[in-house]
Parts: sequence; structure tokens; C-alpha cells
Amino acid sequence: MTAALAIAQLVLLELLRRKDVYVLFFLTGLITLVAGAANIFEDARVVRYVKEICLTLIWISGFVLAVTTAARQLPAERESRTLFTLLAKPVSRWQFLAGKFLGCWLACGVALLFFYAFFGFVAASRERDVDLAGWFQAASLQWFMLAVPIALALAGSLVWAAASSNATLTLVGCFGIWLLGRHLHKVALGLPEPAGTLLTLLYFALPHLELFDVRDLIVHRWPPVPWLVWLGALLYAAAYTGLILNLAWLLFRRRALN
Amino acid sequence: MSEVIQVEELVVTYRDPETRAVRTAVDRLTLAVQAGEVFGFLGPNGAGKTSTMNVLLGFTPAQGGAARIFGVDVREPIARQRIGYLPELTYYYKFLTAEELLRAYGRIFGLGDAEIRARTAELLALVELESARHRLIRTYSKGMQQRLGLAQALLNQPDLLILDEPTSGLDPLGRMKVREIILRQRAAGKTVFFSSHELGEVESVCDRVAILHQGKLRALGTVAEVSQGDAGRLEQAFLRIIGWENPAVAAAK
Amino acid sequence: MARTLPPLLFLVSLALVTSLEPWFQSWQGNRAQSADLLAVLLGDARRAFANHFFIKADAYFHSGYYPSIFDNRTAFQTPHMAADADAKEDKNSGDEDDFLGPPRDWIDAFGRRFKPATHTHLDAGGAHTHAHGDGRPHTHGPAPKEIELGGSADVREILPWLRASAALDPQKVETYTTTAYWLRQRMGKVAEAEAFLRDGLRANPDSHEILFELGRIADEHRKDPARARNLWELALAKWQKFELPKTEPDTFSLLQIASHLALLAERESRWDECLHYLGLWKAASPKPAEIEKRITEVHAKRAAASQVKPQTPNPKP
Repeated sequence: MTAALAIAQLVLLELLRRKDVYVLFFLTGLITLVAGAANIFEDARVVRYVKEICLTLIWISGFVLAVTTAARQLPAERESRTLFTLLAKPVSRWQFLAGKFLGCWLACGVALLFFYAFFGFVAASRERDVDLAGWFQAASLQWFMLAVPIALALAGSLVWAAASSNATLTLVGCFGIWLLGRHLHKVALGLPEPAGTLLTLLYFALPHLELFDVRDLIVHRWPPVPWLVWLGALLYAAAYTGLILNLAWLLFRRRALN
Repeated sequence: MSEVIQVEELVVTYRDPETRAVRTAVDRLTLAVQAGEVFGFLGPNGAGKTSTMNVLLGFTPAQGGAARIFGVDVREPIARQRIGYLPELTYYYKFLTAEELLRAYGRIFGLGDAEIRARTAELLALVELESARHRLIRTYSKGMQQRLGLAQALLNQPDLLILDEPTSGLDPLGRMKVREIILRQRAAGKTVFFSSHELGEVESVCDRVAILHQGKLRALGTVAEVSQGDAGRLEQAFLRIIGWENPAVAAAK
Repeated sequence: MARTLPPLLFLVSLALVTSLEPWFQSWQGNRAQSADLLAVLLGDARRAFANHFFIKADAYFHSGYYPSIFDNRTAFQTPHMAADADAKEDKNSGDEDDFLGPPRDWIDAFGRRFKPATHTHLDAGGAHTHAHGDGRPHTHGPAPKEIELGGSADVREILPWLRASAALDPQKVETYTTTAYWLRQRMGKVAEAEAFLRDGLRANPDSHEILFELGRIADEHRKDPARARNLWELALAKWQKFELPKTEPDTFSLLQIASHLALLAERESRWDECLHYLGLWKAASPKPAEIEKRITEVHAKRAAASQVKPQTPNPKP
């Protein structure tokens, strides 16, 4: 476990020293502040659209950060040959994968902290009220959700050689699930066979990332999700992440590295 | 004397990316490296040296035979707990400083923070990188990166040092430094296993050598034993063993 | 040959340009329809975006509880915020509280816990009037007082999307009329509503809907019935000019204009005018019998008025 944590720390350091997260944060902040500065019929209390724009940008940034960070881990290590120096140490392939995953996931967690802190500042300054339980749920659900695309991107990097292809495919897949996942079964029921059955199977097999999207609850000040349901969602994400990482390990464990 | 490295009937194959034919990189290799000796692993390009090293380091699975380090199957990560590895091409995480890199590797070896600090200071002094310890590795020259490579290879005070072409691309000063380190390791009772094309270096430091050619072991023994029939000249012996014939001599025949 | 080639090519290019340009101009006319940046950037897609933002405003009106394109939308064909504002004829039917239907599977059931699940309107408190699964709506925070006063100002939250919709498609008239209603009725921003409607009128000079709304502001807020009448008469003229020739004219708008003109005329005791507009109202109304009763009442009032005062002919419209 120490080896995995040490590798995770490397990933975290790398993210903090790259420009990606700062660029995303800057863009999110800039667009949110510009949107918030708009004159909406001289009413300064209009706040929900600002919250929605900010949260949507945070979601998009989260996806981009998670997938691009995870997708480049293995290819970068292989290209720079740091993979060999690392695996020449007493590090198992599983520890390597777990360390990479943990590093990417923790890095996303740190980034989300800053993003949501900014969101909280913007929301509180306009609403004169805080919804700590809701915001905590939103941040934690998104953080756990991101574990799935990270695992997918890590597994993808064992299948696709080019990091860009892997990142693109994973992002397209994740955005597709986020936007359309909950409707697939509905669509499937209206399709002729065998398309209906195939789509239904896909619906049940896919990790439903849209479950973790509680932006509507936060934007419109609905009460938070019951805590048992929240915990169930976290466990759902953990289960899918574990499954995908195990598949990745099965691919990686006997792979010749050169 | 105990055997640090044991290779028995090792077979490594790979699929040619163009023809898709299966090629044998290492063909039933058997050798053993004793504790405390400096062992030279020689052969022309494509002989199977890198493939053998890749198996020893766990990078590549073998298709047959067995390999053990300190009696532990090389497929187990714990087999690498007591080794230090210096690759031929020394690239490290460009976003780290030398100190951060050694700290990360130290943690992977399970060393304590105090020990990591002490070893880092000692090794950076040894490889003359003290003044650059807080600079990012991306600012290092090639020579500095190679010296850093040596430092990370010695971090865990390894009982077995595996060096892949350690003097490749080094200036005479750098080569001398590497030689010193190898000899120091031997003096401390450690084992050194390295591959090299610099036969002069091999002659001066190695206790025993193995010569590979086309995946097969062609010669194994002390430098004197291997080059006995060539007036003690290892280069001559090497060329003979791999079957190279002087064109002038071949023409005369 | 090498020396003569460049000038030759130049001459050929010049000839092509001068001969093709007039043809190109006549092919599409003056293609620069608008100097608007959004129109240039998005082209016709801006109308799609404008429509999306209009629906988004209605989704906000419902605090996020809104059907997607895959759900049963029969109860949401006319956006509720527009129907409540009388900006569009309400063509909704079916159950607006359950457009999702029963959960199809455990994922669907589980997923609904993470989305708004109650049908509410922002002007009635929105999410503050949710139910916690016990079916009994209740409120939180400051909303109850606003609801007591007859309408939550949270409805302001739909405005940004309406504004964006109008910016993207200035020809979408219901954006202006819907926005103006909520601005003046619930937020007390009469001046802003009027200014917005005037923006809409500049983009749509023949819009009877916008003229009608401006008339409502004049009547209900500015207390200027003469101006209101002028605006409504102009709206009626526009309707007759542009709607009447259509195979399916917008009778809802006619109903609104005629009814308001009729009621104004009745308030001002201009009976002949009132009867004329009541006739129009009856023609457009889905309940002509009710209007016929009003006509009878007006006849009676006119008769009573003429007995009290000497007869002076009322100006005919």
C-alpha cells in the first residue's frame, strides 16, 4: 500500500505542477463571473442561472481533468521510460495501477474542493444563504462519480496506444452516459428487436454517471438527497470502479512492457 | 557462495510486428550469478541481453524456464526489494526535483523518512548533484540525469545492482565514476550484474562474463577463461565466439 | 512563356471576378442579413438555441422538475409560464404531476431520488413547497411569507433564460410577452417590462401580441385607458391584416384583444363600440354562450343609459 500511496503522490504533484487544472479553474471562474455580471432587468438577486452555469462548468471540467489526467499516465510513463525504473522497484502491477488511480482520483478531489469553494462563494454572495449539506453532497457525489471515468481511462490506456484516442473515446462515452444514460431504457422499449434488447442490455451494463448529477437539486434549493441514498450512490460508484480496475489489472498483469 | 541470480532454461519469445512470426529472443538460457561478484553480460545487439534483463526485472514474462533473484521468483515484486536498477536511457519525472524523486522511490522501498533524508544527502553528494537537488529534473543535462540514475539505483543500499549499459554516452570522467561505484559495491560484498558493449570496462572490473549470441549462451566463465584461446584479448574472443570473421581472412581462405 | 504567364493569369482572374460577381449577388441577394454577432456565429442554429432557452425558462419555472424529450410532454406542450401569463394559448392535457410514469427499473427508481420529483411553480414557492415523501407539501425559509402575499418573486429566476432566448431570436414574440407579464405582475418592474416590449416591437413591428401587452401595461399600470385603447386597436388592425388571411389564424390573440377592448369600452360606457368588440370576442371564444349573455347585459345597460341621458350617437369604430 505504501508503494501505491507513493505513486499516488507523484500523480498529485504532477497535476499541481501542470497548467491544466489552473486553466480549467480560470475558465470556470471567468465564465461564471461574466455570466453573473449580466444585467437581468436590474435585478441583482437572480442567482440560479449563475449557479447552473458554474456547476455545469465544474462538471465538464471534472470530466476533462479526470479523463485527460488518467489517460496520459501509462503512455507518458512508457514514452519517458520512467515506467521501467518504477517497476524495477518492489512494486506490483496492481500497486502501480492502484497508485495511478488513487493519484488521479485524489487530484480530482483536490481540484473539486477549489471548484466547489468558488461555487459556494458565488452562491452565498448572491443568495445570502448557504446550503452546506447540499453542496457537500454535490461535491462528494461528483468526486465518487469521477472514479469511474478515471478507471475507464486507465483501462483504456491498456487497450489504445495513443493517449488522445483513449481520452477522446472515454470523454465521448462519459458525456454520452451523462446526458442520455437515464433515457436508454425508455428508448429501448420503443425499438424493434434485436435493437431493443441490445440497448436494454447496454442500459443495465453501463455505469450510470447521471445518477450523481444533483445540479437541479442544488440550483433550485431542493432538500438534499437522503443520506442512505447518498451512501448507496457512493457504493455504486465504488463497485463499478473496482470492477473496471480489476479488468484493467487483468489486462496489465501479464502485459510485456516493451 | 550463494547464488544471487538463477536462470534455468529460460525461454523468451516475441511476435515480429511486421511478419507476425514468433521469434525466440532467449533460447534455453541457464546461468547463475554468485553473491559478491561482478558479472558482465555481453553480446551483440539482438543477442537477448535486454530480453533476459527484462525478465529478471519483471518487465516481460518468460515463455519457459525460470528465473530467481535471492531465491525468489522474479515474478514476485518482493524479488526487487534488494536490487538497484540503472536503465540504459535515464529519464525521470521531469516535474520532480532530484530530492522529490529519491523521496518517492525511498517510500516505495519502505524506507523511513529519516533514512530517506540521510540516504538522499549521501547519494546526491556522491553523484555531485547537491547544488541541483531543488531544481526540476527537466532542467538537468543528460549527464546530470545519468548521475541521478546512479543515485536512485543505490538508494536502498541494494545487494544486487543491475546496470544496463551503464557507461553508454558517458564522458571519461563519468565512466570512471561508474567504475568506482562498481568496485565499491564489490568491496562491500554486493553483487553487480551489468551488460555493456565497452569490453575494456568489462575486462577491468568483471569477475566473470557470459556471452550471448542469437539467444543462446556461447561462453561463460572468468575473463581469462573465455579469452584463453585469443591471447587473453576479450574483444578477439568475443568476435570469435559470435562467429565474426575478418573479411580479409575470409577472402584469403 | 514564363514571363507572359503571370500577367495572363492575372487577366484571366480579373475577367472571372468581374463576370462572376454580379451573378453571385443575384443568386442570394444581399446575404448580409444581419450585423448581429450571434446571427453570424450561429446562423439558423440560434433559433434552436432560442427555443431551448425558452423551454429552459419553463424548466426553471418548475424548479427543475421538467420532462425531457423522451418523456410524456402532453401536459407541457404549452410552457406553463407562458400559459399562466396568457402569452400563449394553453393546449396542455394530461397529468402534469407524473410525466415520467412509474419507474421502469431499479436504476430509474434510484435515479429519481437525485432529481426534483414534485410539480411546483416558482410563483407559488417552487422547491420550498416540496413534499418529503409523505405527500404533504410544506415550505421552508422565507418563502411562506411571499406565498402569503400572493406570489413568490423567485419567478425572477426564469428571466435570464428568457433574455437569452430573446437575444438569440428576436422574432420569437412569446418571449417578450411572457417576460413582460412576469416582470410587471410579480416583480413590479413595469418600466423594465415596457422597455423590453418596445425592444420586441422594434424587432417585430407588426406583432399584435406585443402591442396587446403594451396596451395592458398602459391600462393596468399606467392607468392610461386612451393609450391602451390606441394600442389595442392597432393590435387588432395588425391581427386583421396579418392573421386573418392565414388558413388557421390565431384566434386566441383575437380573443384577448377583443375582450380587452370590449371591457374597456364597457368601462367607458361606449356601448356601440363595446357591442362591436363583444361580437368579435364571441366569434373567437370557445364559449360563445357566455359572451352572448354579456352582449345582452350590455344591450340592457345601453338602454338604461339612454333613458337617463339624452341620446348622443356613440362613435362607431
